[in-house]
Amino acid sequence: MASLELVNLSKTFGQVKVLHNLDLTVKEGEFLALVGPSGCGKSTLLRIIAGLDDASDGLVVMDGDDVSELSPRERNVAMVFQSYALYPHMTVEENIGFNLRISGLSKAEIASRVEEAAQTLDLTELLKRKPSQLSGGQRQRVAMGRALVRNPDAFLFDEPLSNLDAKLRVQMREEIKRLHKKVRTTSVYVTHDQIEAMTLADRIVIMKDGRIQQIGSPTELYREPNNAFVAGFIGSPAMNFLPGRLLFEGDDRFAVLTDGTRLAVTDERAGEIANNAAIQVGLRPEHLRVAAQGDGDHANRLAGTLDLIEPTGAQNHLKVSVCDQLLTVVDSQLVSLDIDQPVTLSIDPNQVYVFAAA
Amino acid sequence: MAKTATSAFKKSSNWVVQAILIFGVLVTIFPFVWVALMGTHSRSDIFSSPPPFYVGDRLMENYAKLLEIMPFWTVLGNSLFVSVLGTLGAVLFCSMCAYGFFAFDFRGKNIIFGIMVASMMVPPVLTLIPFFLTVKFLGILDTHFALWFPGVANAFGIFLIRQYMVTSITRDLLDAAKVDGASELRIYWSVVLPLIKPALATLAIVMFIGLWNNFLAPLIVISSPDKYVLTLALRSVQSLANSPWGAVMLGTFLSMVPLLLAFVFFSKQMMAGLTAGAVKG
Repeated sequence: MASLELVNLSKTFGQVKVLHNLDLTVKEGEFLALVGPSGCGKSTLLRIIAGLDDASDGLVVMDGDDVSELSPRERNVAMVFQSYALYPHMTVEENIGFNLRISGLSKAEIASRVEEAAQTLDLTELLKRKPSQLSGGQRQRVAMGRALVRNPDAFLFDEPLSNLDAKLRVQMREEIKRLHKKVRTTSVYVTHDQIEAMTLADRIVIMKDGRIQQIGSPTELYREPNNAFVAGFIGSPAMNFLPGRLLFEGDDRFAVLTDGTRLAVTDERAGEIANNAAIQVGLRPEHLRVAAQGDGDHANRLAGTLDLIEPTGAQNHLKVSVCDQLLTVVDSQLVSLDIDQPVTLSIDPNQVYVFAAA
Repeated sequence: MAKTATSAFKKSSNWVVQAILIFGVLVTIFPFVWVALMGTHSRSDIFSSPPPFYVGDRLMENYAKLLEIMPFWTVLGNSLFVSVLGTLGAVLFCSMCAYGFFAFDFRGKNIIFGIMVASMMVPPVLTLIPFFLTVKFLGILDTHFALWFPGVANAFGIFLIRQYMVTSITRDLLDAAKVDGASELRIYWSVVLPLIKPALATLAIVMFIGLWNNFLAPLIVISSPDKYVLTLALRSVQSLANSPWGAVMLGTFLSMVPLLLAFVFFSKQMMAGLTAGAVKG
């Protein structure tokens, strides 16, 4: 296990700068997720940590040693790829033991370590098979076995679950979490799926356009997002945004929407934003209540019209038209409503987020 | 009714297609059968009218004559030596060059690759004189080395294998091997080579046939009779007055046997290599 530190790291492809002076520390044994939309530079960052790509500027430091100039083989990191990248001509056993054979370990040592990794990942029965004879989940486990068998200083995961179906993805997510709990190896996990990041990681790094937007625990990011991008990225369904302006009335703060609706905002949420400044009002779908059903008696009320109901089983997702925009509301009470029916939504002032308009 | 007519038409068109194919097969194999049959006849039988289209009784006589007019087994050995070394060399060096073009990014890569592919369009006969001058300059005239070595890194082989790599090996696989701690040579040997076997087999067959049948290069390079290869030796006895055609035909047939055997054993891989990437798998 090792700690990992990125110091003022930049990467440029031709004229295009894809990573901008990143500073990041991953503590020993920590599980860190890099999250962001496609093209934000998260996979590039992972490849730089692995040594597969060189940084244009800055350092990669592992356990206090600068490893920026070292090749992948010298860094002692293991990587799990999105495509699994198993060697098709080798059996599961040979795939898992490939690194050990290169390292020149004895046959007996290789066999015992492969066996141990196979047991951990429930692959013992499959050791003699070729990758083409395995299911997607089994291939993923072999890829993890190949990483695990080396006892690396760090695990790097590059969207390892994105080729699996939804059910298998949930199962593999649990397995990865269990595995990390057992081996406690420093891990960096790249994904564009915020649920995956939230459920797995100790801390999450949100990236956009090669810049870090915020670093924090899943709960911190959900509760205290730094900006509208982070707020919109974390949470499912995504946060609703409405344009407006911030109004000061004595000690009180209000978000005034385009139709004149006023929503009380706490000082904490208003932060440093000036009086009358243009803002984005953020309302999480699960914080909005349908007031007409007596389920929302908060001071903040928004009038709208029900446009659509999307039943998901345990809850309904309501699309409510407010200020000419559709807001998503999570209705856990499964109230009986009609399309085009006027509805009043309410929300606790503590849960009204405001961000300076871009 | 219409259905019956359609199926009758399909049946008859099937027959036509099969008849054309059978005709094609007969035309293709006729020269081989003809050469084999003529190897069992005397010169006078061969030129009789109509020619004898049956197995004759002069096989052993022709064989004795063949050994008399040329050191057949030495010449066959020379051909094998040149073809096997040239084939092994081409498989090794073409795959290495192809790996370079496939796996590494370097300045001018596309231009070099383009020039290399374009060089395949130059008719080989045009390069004959420069080839002779180069061989003479290097002092390797009248050596087998000059026959097999110049072709070990050829444009066709590099192009064929590089294209196969593009369709069958992912970047992730190379990256995974790097992270696993493999050196470039190790990746080439342990990961890439096993995955391009069909392309290697194709190249091996094409190279072997090319070297085995090569006539022009030996003609201008080799001058000592003991270094002759089959094509050259068989041609040299034809220039004699009163050519022993039965022996020549027997020698020609025997010279085809290694190629036929190679095709029987490797045809499957050859097809796989040539059609790779044609169908999405």
